[in-house]
This record gives sequence, structure tokens and C-alpha cells, in this order.
Amino acid sequence: MHFFIELAKRPITIMLLLTAITIAFVLSIAQNADLETNLDEYMPKTHPAFVASDEAQDLFGITDAILFVVEHPSSIYNQQTLEKIDAITVALTEEFDAFSSVTSLTTADNIKSSDGFLEVKPFYTGNTSDIAIATMQSEVEANSMIYGRNVSKDGTATLIIAELKDDADSKALQEELKTWIGQWEGPERILMAGRPVVEGSLAELGPKDMAIMFPLVIITMIIILFLLLRSVRDTVLNMVIVLFGTILSFGLMTVLGVPIYAVDTMIPVMLIAIGVAYGIHMHNTIHHLMEEQPNITKETLAAQSLKLMIRPIIMTALTTAIGFVALMSSQVLPVRYFGLFAAIGVLGEMVLALLLFPASIHLLGKPTYHARKQTLGKRTSSDHLKSMVLQHPGSIALVSVVVLVFGIWGTSKVWIDTSFLANFEEDSSIVQIDHLVNEKFGGTSNLNIILTSDQVDHFKDPEVLKTMEALQQELESNVMVGNTLSLSTFIKQMNQVMLEYEEGSHSIPDSQELVSQYLLLYEFSGDPESLTQVVDYEYTSANITVQLKSDSSALLKQIIAVVDTYRPSFEQMGIRLGYAGSGYKAFIFSELLLEGQIISLVISFGIIVLLLTLLFRNLRIGLVGTVPIAITAVVNFAVMGFLGIPLSSATALITSIAIGIGVDYAIHFLEHYTNARLAGANLEEATTQTLVHTGRAIIFNAIAVMGGFAILLFSVFPPNRQVGALIVLNMATSALGTLTILVVAVHHLDRKQVFLPKHIRQTK
Amino acid sequence: MKRTSILLLIILSIMFVLPATDLSGEDVMWNVYNRDSGDTMGANLIMTITNARGSVRERSIAQYRQDLDGVESKLMFFLSPSDVRNTSFLSFSYEDGRNDDQYIYLPALKRVKRIASDSKNDSFMGSDFTYDDMGSRHPDLDRHTVLRTETVSGLPTLVIESIAQGAEDYPRTLSWVVDGQWFGLKKEFYLPDGSLGKTLTIDAFDEIDGIAVITDMTMSNHKQNTSTRIQMQDVEFNLEFESNFFSERQMKIGPRR
Repeated sequence: MHFFIELAKRPITIMLLLTAITIAFVLSIAQNADLETNLDEYMPKTHPAFVASDEAQDLFGITDAILFVVEHPSSIYNQQTLEKIDAITVALTEEFDAFSSVTSLTTADNIKSSDGFLEVKPFYTGNTSDIAIATMQSEVEANSMIYGRNVSKDGTATLIIAELKDDADSKALQEELKTWIGQWEGPERILMAGRPVVEGSLAELGPKDMAIMFPLVIITMIIILFLLLRSVRDTVLNMVIVLFGTILSFGLMTVLGVPIYAVDTMIPVMLIAIGVAYGIHMHNTIHHLMEEQPNITKETLAAQSLKLMIRPIIMTALTTAIGFVALMSSQVLPVRYFGLFAAIGVLGEMVLALLLFPASIHLLGKPTYHARKQTLGKRTSSDHLKSMVLQHPGSIALVSVVVLVFGIWGTSKVWIDTSFLANFEEDSSIVQIDHLVNEKFGGTSNLNIILTSDQVDHFKDPEVLKTMEALQQELESNVMVGNTLSLSTFIKQMNQVMLEYEEGSHSIPDSQELVSQYLLLYEFSGDPESLTQVVDYEYTSANITVQLKSDSSALLKQIIAVVDTYRPSFEQMGIRLGYAGSGYKAFIFSELLLEGQIISLVISFGIIVLLLTLLFRNLRIGLVGTVPIAITAVVNFAVMGFLGIPLSSATALITSIAIGIGVDYAIHFLEHYTNARLAGANLEEATTQTLVHTGRAIIFNAIAVMGGFAILLFSVFPPNRQVGALIVLNMATSALGTLTILVVAVHHLDRKQVFLPKHIRQTK
Repeated sequence: MKRTSILLLIILSIMFVLPATDLSGEDVMWNVYNRDSGDTMGANLIMTITNARGSVRERSIAQYRQDLDGVESKLMFFLSPSDVRNTSFLSFSYEDGRNDDQYIYLPALKRVKRIASDSKNDSFMGSDFTYDDMGSRHPDLDRHTVLRTETVSGLPTLVIESIAQGAEDYPRTLSWVVDGQWFGLKKEFYLPDGSLGKTLTIDAFDEIDGIAVITDMTMSNHKQNTSTRIQMQDVEFNLEFESNFFSERQMKIGPRR
């Protein structure tokens, strides 16, 4: 503490130091800050599900692809459009290094058979006479491997599928492609879709929108703070504290070379919501000291305010920091970094709050606060609050219990969803294109089912192939499943062609020899490359690709549940079942996210109970102190559950705010109340004093942060709106919870003589 | 005396330093094309295909060939693996440039199918060899130049650069042709971008009935990281085939003569 008192006497040094650090970090941020948009970087790479998925992706060449939709107002079957499709396909292959393969209607092979004549040839031969095009159309429509998959059934649209290499810089590529496709437009529309496009837009839009919204949040907050605090100086100090916290976090990240992820856009949000509290409490104490002792010297004022606030502010900052550090238990790397650097930011804000206010008194003299009336007004309203709270403890307890019960019910409705598309407005072009692709083709999202056996040639066994077929048929009965592709699809197609479309020939033959011979023939005459995506070289491992019409992880969960019912049948045959693909990884990721969030919540709760118990030397206070947090967290989840706001990386992190802020309020309240009681105030007086003093700071804090983040409700980006709404909600519940149920609980304990430490009670 | 010996020395040195032949590239390749390979042949092929992951597929095939009246007939029967045993493949290649006629017989289906073939660049039985690689490419399709002489495995070879006249997957190839015996010991295939696409190496050859026969060769695809080894066993020439041996009927009967 002496350190702070002494250092505060050198305001010029502090200013210089602060300016130097800020300049250094801002320079580092300006030079090195680059948002990591590759979602694979988020994934915990050593997790068994990810390892298995990566292996399978490698084995079967499963990659994310950019889908180019070529849509003609009437029909793609005309010379100009077909030549254009061919030209785009060739140009994509030749002009872009990022694609490992580009396939389209003009590269696809058709296998057909008539009059004992088996023919494998491209659908598109380059011949664009009317007859050739008409033949091509009828061939496409007869081949279920392409009809409805790559060419829409109404003949107005087709897909060009460009598979991305692993190391492709998707962001730069998409920027380029967006303008590149322009040259091919008219009369056809050329649209880009697929997971990389959605992910790319999302990673770009979120932070971009935040960059627009954030200054508005700050400006609003400055106005509200000024109206509340009636002091330019304290408003400026508050903003310096919160902005420095943000600069410290990001500055350190860039200096240490830690990549900045999209989740990290939540760091300033957190640091502002939390940091403002420190400044307001400092302001509040100085304000009160001046009111109580109008003739206080500036040295005493500086030292006194620090003395009173150093303990609660350090405690609140520590508990908040611990809440963030608990996030480091997460398996998800960006969340771990987030926790660490948010904690550092909080501690930076703490130091600044403790230094800047006393230093400003040394530098500029005692502050002058205007508008006494307003304080008086507050006093009466806190009187109202006090009488309301103290006269109806039963009702408050009852309401709290009801809120908790409803909350837990609502929490059970929270669903995890990593649907990237759900983050966009329904009428946005990205959603519209996705709808179009899902309506005309198989679907924009894939799930890969990976079957593995120890037995060579096991996947030539008709029994195995028939089980795969049954699974595929059951999956395809779901309207959200576009189609499925596996070795059994190839065999059925081959059987149909070889039996020249006999009745019932679109089926798996009963003889393993015949399956083997079909496969041999396919190798000779077809395109053996296309077999490598469904089966491995030794026929010990197979891949079923399921095309889905939504990227919602809830749908994925439903599909996986169906697939899992086939697990026993496969296991009986000695075949293991697993999953792969980026959609699956995102699904596992969201499960991990939830798991990590719950673990870090539990850890935070435990640590906070422990800390409060140690600080106040009383387990009951430790437990009571967490009540407002518990209510805030539960209400937060309940509102998410009732409003259908999915738990995503951003919304999950907001519960950390609930904890950080809830516990701060509780500490300030308990600290002030205990001090008042120790100073000799009776129960009633202590409550009044605490509500007037701390209650005012809590309400100011809540109003300033709520007002600021309410601006996010006007964001064009739905996830940012959700963030805004949840912060407003959490600030409100935290403040309300502290000022009602915590007061009631503290009173109850105090009446029962278990609140104050025994030795203090005895000396009284 | 001295004068003649110097002259002899000069003549000898010219003979050894310059390409030891005054044949043009075209001449060399025509020699290769026209090399005696027997009018009929029978052999067992062992084909080992290795994919990029190092997994291996092995197949053995009984092969019969007959050159008669400008038509090359080939009949192949799979001997193993057992599930494709007796699957057979019949082809007729025409010297006059007509497209090949190809037939496949699947014993489990008991049906013969005619297969359309419009590209010599198609993979031969799913291997790294194309049909073109397995047969002999007509010299007129490329322009040939003798680049240099080189000794490969102790044999004098002429290095021939062949540039395709039309569009090809590998527009430029280099062949190491054994001088005087007119068979290749090595061949490099270059892609349009100038990089090496695949390499054929000959690891063993034999002389049977006075005809040089390559008995072990490997084609390595450097882009896909795959390779195919073909070994020839039980090579026989001058076989007597029944007049209807190269027929659909024989495909169904199996490899009995």
C-alpha cells in the first residue's frame, strides 16, 4: 500500500510511464495484430476425435471446398453456359494454386452401358451442337451420381467444386475470388458457397462490426459516466483505466507473438464492463470522504481513499482474474489465451485505478463535485430500496428461489449450436446462397462416417455393403439430408450399368466375387481416383459422406444418433465406426467448449467461495457471497435458453462477466458492511450506509456498462447483438441480486450472530 | 605408316566421341518400333501397384499376344487375387490407326462387355502404365533427336528426345535405347511445365528365342508418388493359337489353349 501512496505522489512519472507503455504497445499492436481466421487453429489438435478425424481426412482426401454455383435463368443446357462452365473450371485450375482439384459437369465422367457396350466417357466432350447437348442432358438425368448432386434437377444450376489445399490462405483467396467471378457473370449468376466461405465471412464480419460498434459503445459510456459522476476528470480517468487494460492485453499478446483469435474481440468488452467498476468505486469513496470531511487536505484525501479501497479493489480484481484464469482449464487454445490475457488486463486496470485517482488529486488538487441534489436524490432512493429490502425479506427470498428454479429450467433448454450460418441475417446474401445450394443440390455441409476393419477386402463383402446401404437409406429419409455417397453407392451404380438397367439392378449384388470384379473393372475403365474418396487401397476402411442441408450442430447430433444405432451391427462384423470432417470437428469443438465452460464455472465458484471465506474468515460469508453470482449465471443461461440464443464461444464467455462482476459487487458490499459494523454501526445503520455508499457505486457501474453495451443491440451482426443483450442482462441481475438477496442474506446471518468474527462480537 | 596411324586415330576418336551412330532420331525410333518382338507370345505378368501411402496390390495375369495381318490381338486372364480369377480382357489394336476394340469378361456376371476406348493415355489396368506405354508408340507421332550417347548398366545407349506432335499428357520424353539391340533401358516422361512426371526403369531383361525381352520394369509416377512394377515370367514365343483363340468364347473358357 505504501508503494501505491508513494508512487501516487509522482503523477508526472506515472503519466510518462503510462504514455511510454501505451505508445510501445499501440505500436506493437499496429504492426503485428492480425486476426487469425483459420478456424482449424482453434481446435485442440491432440484430442482423440480430432486425431482420428484428421487421419481419415488425410486417407480419403476429405477437404473443405468452395462451391461455385453457376445458375442460368432458364437452363444451363446451352452452348454458351456449358462453354463458360468449362472455361471457369479450367481457369480455376490454372490460375489458382490454392485448389487441389476442381471438378464440374465438364470434368465428370459418365459410365453407361447398352447392347453389351460399356462406355466411360466425359459428359461434356466439347461438342456443343444441339444434339450433343440434348444427349448430355439425358445422360446427366439418368445418372444419380451427378443428377441432383452436382446438377440441379430443374436443370437451371450446376456446381463447380474447388477443393482447397490444406495450407491455402482462405481469406486472401476469397477476397480475390469475389472479384474474379465477376468476369463470368451474365446471363448466368455465379455464386460462392460452402463452409470456407461462411467461415471466412463470419471471421471477417464479427470483428469488423465490433470495430464500428466499439467506438459507439465508448462514446455512449463516456456520456453516461459524465452524467452520473458529474466530473470530467473522473470520467477521463475511468476511460483511461479501461482503455489501458485493453491496450495492455492486446499489446502483450502481440509482443509475445500470441495469435489474436475472433474470441479475443470479447476482451475489450469484458475489460470495459469490469474496469469501470474500479474507477467508480474510487470516485465514490473520494466523493464520500469529501462529503464527510469538507476540509480534508489533498494528501490525506489521496491516502485515505487509497487506504479504504485498496483491499476491496485488490480483492475484486483478484477474484475476477481468477475467474478468467480458470478458463485456462479449457482444451480450446484460444479460450486459454483469452483467459490469461483478460486476467492480465484486469490486473492492469486494478493497478491503474489505485494509482490514477490519488495521483490526480496530487496533480490537480481535490476534485469539485457538482449537483449535491443528485446525491440527495440517490440517498432517498437508497432509503426506499433499503426499506423495501428489509421489510420484505421473505418475499425477496421467495422471488429469488422462483427465479432460480425458472432459471435452472431455462438453463436445461440452452442448446449448443455452432451453426456458422445462424450468425447471419436471414436475408443476407450468404444465407440466401446457402438456401439456394441446399434447395438445388445435396447440401452445403458434410459429415463423414468412417468405417474401419482389420480385415483386408472387408468392404467388398456384400453383407457389409448392404448394411452401409441400409444406413444410407435411413439417413436419406431425413429431409435435412441431401444425399449420401459411399462405396456401396458406386457398386449399386456399377451393378445397374452392367445389368443394363434391369429391374431391381440398382442394388448390391450377393456375390463378393462380382463386387471385386466390378471394382477391378472400375479401376480399368473408370476414374480410380474417385474410388479413393470412399475406400482405402486395401478395402479395410470406408468413408460414407453425408451431405446435410444445414450446418447446425444440433442436426449433426441428430444424424450421429441415427448412425450410432448401426454401431452394434457393424461391430458384430468387426467394423469400428467413427466420424470425420470439419463439420464434425466443429461439433466436437462446441461440446468441448460447453464442457470447458462448465468446468471453469465450477472452478471459479469453488475458488471464490474459498477466497471470500479466507478474506472474511467466515465460510457462511463465502457461501452467501456467491449467491448473486449464482443467480446471475443461472439467469444468463435461462434467458439464453428461453430466447434460443445458442451457446457459442462468444456467448459462453459472457458468463465469465457474470461471475467477475457479480463477485465484485458482493465483495464491495460485504467489505463496506463489515467495516461499518466494526466501526460500531448497528445492523440498520450499517445497511443504510452500505446501500448509500456501495449501492450508489454499484448502480452507477451497472447503468454505465448497460448503457454502453446497449449500443451493441443495434449491431448488424446478430452474434454481437446477443453479446450486447447478455451483458445488459448480466449487469442488471448482478446489481439487483447484490442489492436485494445479498442484503437479505447478510441481515439474516447478522441477526443470527454468525456474521461477524467471534472475537469481534465478543469485544463489543 | 605414321600418317596412317594418325588418320586411324582421328577416325577412331571421331567414332567414339561423337554419337557412335550416324542414325537420326527417327531412324532409331523406327528401329525400336520394328524390332522383332515375336509374332506370338505368352507370358505370366506379375503386376505390383504401390500407392502413395505404400500400400500394395499384387495381381498376376496370364497374357497371350499375336501379331497377324496388321492386327495385334491380346488376351489376358487374371490368375490372382482369387476373387477376380478368370476375369479376362481382350483387345485388338490396328496398325492403320483405328481405335482399339476391347472386351471384358466378368466370370461372376457371366457377361462379356465391349469397352469403349478412345484414349491411349488411359491407365493400363489401374496401374501407372498407360496402354501406350505397354504397346509400341508409332514413331510418326513424335519428332525425335539423338541427344548423346550414354552407358547404362554397361550397355551403350543412345539418348533420344521425343517431342510430341499433338497434345499429350507428357509432351516430351527421353529414351535410353540400347544401340544395336533397339530396346529401351530407361524412359523419362516430362510434363507440359517441363518437370519430370514419371520414369520407367528396366531392371532385368533376357534373351529368349533370340528376342530381347524385358522381364522386370517399374514405372514411377513422381507427382502422385505411386509406382507399378511388372515382372514377366514363363515367356514363350512362337506359340500356335487356334484360329478362334482371341475370341469372346475363349474369354469365358479361361487360360487353356
